[in-house]
Amino acid sequence: MKNTLKNVFHSPRFVVGFTIFMVILLTVLIYPYFVTRDPLLGLGKGFLEPGTYVSVYDTNTAGTYRVELPEANMNRMESSVPMEDRVTIIEFLTAKGVDVSHLTTANGDVPELVSLWQENYDEADVKKSKYPGFTTQAKRKALARMDARLSGDSATAKMTVTVGDGDDAATTTVNDTDYVKVNEVANSITLPLGTDNFGRDTLTELVKATGISLLIGLIAGTVATLLGLIVGLLAGYVGGILDDILMFIANLFTVIPGFVLLILIYYSVGQAARGVTTCALVIGFTSWVWTARSVRSQVISLRNRDHVNLSKLSGHSLPRIVVTDILPYIASYVVMAFILQVSSGILAEAQLSLLGLGPKTTDVPTLGLMMNWAKLFGAYTSSNAWWAYFPVILVIALISFSLNLMNTGLDQVFNPTLRD
Amino acid sequence: MKNLTKILALLIAVLMLCGTAFAEATDLPRNETVYFGGQQWGSVVGTNPLSSNNNNSMAVAANARGSRTIMFETLYMYNMLDGQLYPLLADGDYVWNDDLTEMTVKIKAAAKWSDGTPVTANDVAATWAACEKLQNGTYTNYAAYIAGIEAADDATVVIKAVTTEDGKPVNPLQFMNYLSEVYVVQGAWIDTVMERNGNDAAKVLADPADDVVYSGPYGPYFYNDQMVSFVRNDAYWGQDESMWGKLPVPKYIAHGIYSDNDAALVAFKAGQIDCNQQFIANVQNLWLEEDLPIATYMDEAPYGICATMPTAWYNMEIPALQNVAVRKAIAMAVDYDNIIENAMTNQSPSFTDVPRSVMNPTDGEQAMYDHEAVKDLQWAGKDIEGAKALLDEAGIVDSDGDGYRELDGEKITLNACCPNGWTDWQAAMEMVAAAGQAIGLDITTNYPEWSIYQTVFTAASQTEYDIFMYSPAGATPASPWARVRSFMSSEFLGKDNNWSGNFGHYKNDRIDEIIAAIPQTTDEAELKALYTEATEIYLTEVPSFSLMYRPEQFHAVNETVWTGYPEKDDGDNIPPANLTDGYGIAALYNLELVEG
Repeated sequence: MKNTLKNVFHSPRFVVGFTIFMVILLTVLIYPYFVTRDPLLGLGKGFLEPGTYVSVYDTNTAGTYRVELPEANMNRMESSVPMEDRVTIIEFLTAKGVDVSHLTTANGDVPELVSLWQENYDEADVKKSKYPGFTTQAKRKALARMDARLSGDSATAKMTVTVGDGDDAATTTVNDTDYVKVNEVANSITLPLGTDNFGRDTLTELVKATGISLLIGLIAGTVATLLGLIVGLLAGYVGGILDDILMFIANLFTVIPGFVLLILIYYSVGQAARGVTTCALVIGFTSWVWTARSVRSQVISLRNRDHVNLSKLSGHSLPRIVVTDILPYIASYVVMAFILQVSSGILAEAQLSLLGLGPKTTDVPTLGLMMNWAKLFGAYTSSNAWWAYFPVILVIALISFSLNLMNTGLDQVFNPTLRD
Repeated sequence: MKNLTKILALLIAVLMLCGTAFAEATDLPRNETVYFGGQQWGSVVGTNPLSSNNNNSMAVAANARGSRTIMFETLYMYNMLDGQLYPLLADGDYVWNDDLTEMTVKIKAAAKWSDGTPVTANDVAATWAACEKLQNGTYTNYAAYIAGIEAADDATVVIKAVTTEDGKPVNPLQFMNYLSEVYVVQGAWIDTVMERNGNDAAKVLADPADDVVYSGPYGPYFYNDQMVSFVRNDAYWGQDESMWGKLPVPKYIAHGIYSDNDAALVAFKAGQIDCNQQFIANVQNLWLEEDLPIATYMDEAPYGICATMPTAWYNMEIPALQNVAVRKAIAMAVDYDNIIENAMTNQSPSFTDVPRSVMNPTDGEQAMYDHEAVKDLQWAGKDIEGAKALLDEAGIVDSDGDGYRELDGEKITLNACCPNGWTDWQAAMEMVAAAGQAIGLDITTNYPEWSIYQTVFTAASQTEYDIFMYSPAGATPASPWARVRSFMSSEFLGKDNNWSGNFGHYKNDRIDEIIAAIPQTTDEAELKALYTEATEIYLTEVPSFSLMYRPEQFHAVNETVWTGYPEKDDGDNIPPANLTDGYGIAALYNLELVEG
């Protein structure tokens, strides 16, 4: 046993797979101790981009420090009049026939560009005059939005904050050299993966979902492997009419595509009963066939070995023979099959959920459900929220990659024909 | 044998070439065609204006909020922006007699059918007669209000009302719906189709009507499993000065048939669809972030005219929901701002801006009830503590310690249902379920397929869905009365296949009296008092609660090829109704090419 383990851990593939898997597993186990928030808690508006969000309200009450950045004004200008806006201003002025040949998009020209814009832009005029390139509603509305932006904030305007209302109001002036220290602000939150369509913290949800999906894979894998093992052992060792019956059932399952069967069974279960366990059990019950067939063929070849016959002659019972004389010889195969079953169980849940047949969303997140909601809310069509689905795909890929690596690693160790 | 294979290969090659040649022949010139999206799913069955089973939504889509009039035309066009009816086949305004029992409508002299014959009052009368004979949907909708339609002469239609025992009309408001909803069908063609099918109603309704005569500006061009298309009738009568004075701009109208919303959205973004009727989550990203030439009616949230309010209905057959405290507590606990922000991605005004009532959020309807009088009955939502207190007070508490409350010794377990794939509704139901969990009621979501869902919630009696979603009547000439009726009228109780309203089967005698009284009330103050009382009952009894406001039809346009679409405050008073519905069709006459 010790020697086998040593051999296993000498296989580089297994080690890589095992490391990836353990990293994922440990993250799932440890993360909840650091972030105790309910993973299904909606924090705000859906699909917030990844980043750190600092409370505007609290920055006003945090202490200020004077910092003089030499490039501060330039940064402000670049943020309030970004490059696209400068290009649009020049395009618009050219279309209107204003001479801007001496102006470029460089920072130095921005004040003049903006003042020329403010002199020449008039919403009603743009609509009426139909300047070439600005005839469509979409373009005109883009200009109006830009105009609002340009007049809304200027780098040099004085900014004041009023606290309280009515007569008690106190006004303080915010200088352009006032800075706050981010960790002194009472409320800020870092969302490394943004939020999903419900406004839930994607990372926290992802960790929880990975845990649930692993659990589904584990239950499904255990059920499938146990069923396959029992059927295979019985059919292979007992043989005769029992073998015929069991193989008849197994053949039925082989002929009907497993996934179709899975959809049909799961659909008939009804949404009300769709929990994590049901999901895992249904997946397990539809994917035991190949394990059963392989176990059976291996058992048939083992059945007439001398040591088995000796046990029979000694009058050992059937369970004892199976457990002590046959099982150890196929154990390595069963372990490998189990790993693959776990991997395919996770994938099956993702596929089911993507079809809208997953567990109930209110209860738990799963990897498939996360992808389903991302799809429903156009994360890759209209909402452009890569963070809502890409990390999920990555995690699914990593899990099945690591499990498959472990499997091939084990294969290398246990399969004599592949041994170096 | 080898030769045979060669010949076969050659044959296939020739066939493929023919195929491409044929495909090109049906390609429409891009700058003469307006492509629509989000209306037509699956293949067309027919073009029969008497039937409601055509699956040809570009040609036959009769609806009181404004029928689609590109092929068949109605007497009047409804404009949801000002609530007015604009004459189409009719000439000038309709005229009531003094006791509102007879309405007279004149027909435009210029109106012609596609075969060149004039549209007459006899056609209008023949249409109603045919509906009666066929007992189709139109007839069952209006038979309770319209006694008959006659032609006084070629240009004068007289519509007679069904009267109550004391000689009053049952409901004059429904006449307005009729005027803007029901297509006028040619009498001569009705005779042909009746004769062809041996006067058998079922056969007539199933007739695909390939030879149908129409009065609208477009006729069928070709239908296949990838596209439906219509071509302009350049002899269209509407170019007469008494109507539009010109022809609609695009020569062709087409609608691709897509497998699902995502596919249609991809086509819309690529500029293959010009005008799209589809809920697009975070639609503003299309122009703010992706910089696509896409616009909606309004540039700011809610981006469209919200005229309806998707509503969660309580099933009154469920014992727990017969308890008004449970109904109100759930409604109080739901986080509406979250629904509007996340499920609708802000494409709805909030309930803080437009407090809940039986009115839609348009200014016209909001003015029709007294906001102050019902102020105390309003709830803001997300009031978990208030909801808990309400339940505690009503004696609905958790006595066995399982975390869920019991009513009469039984744990309250409810489901919240809406059709699968109706994204924004599903997200809303998730939040209703979450609210239930937060106040100790075991609510879980359930999303059946639409084909099943529609048979269950419209049934005369059902106990499968406890809290379920559907929209009440939207903006029609008969609203807001029609909405009060569809929220609470008991006339729908015990009716199978009930698509009209009160899906939760609520009953209240006072409301029934109000619903009967409103159509016969003309005094504005009195009317306002009635609507206020209806709102009061609605907010006290909570037979259902609206989750959001929503446009009846989404309207987003891609200006890659065409421009000149209606937009807010453009002074044209054309509603964003996909360039085709009700008065929205006026937009088709204003389009212009982006590259002139």
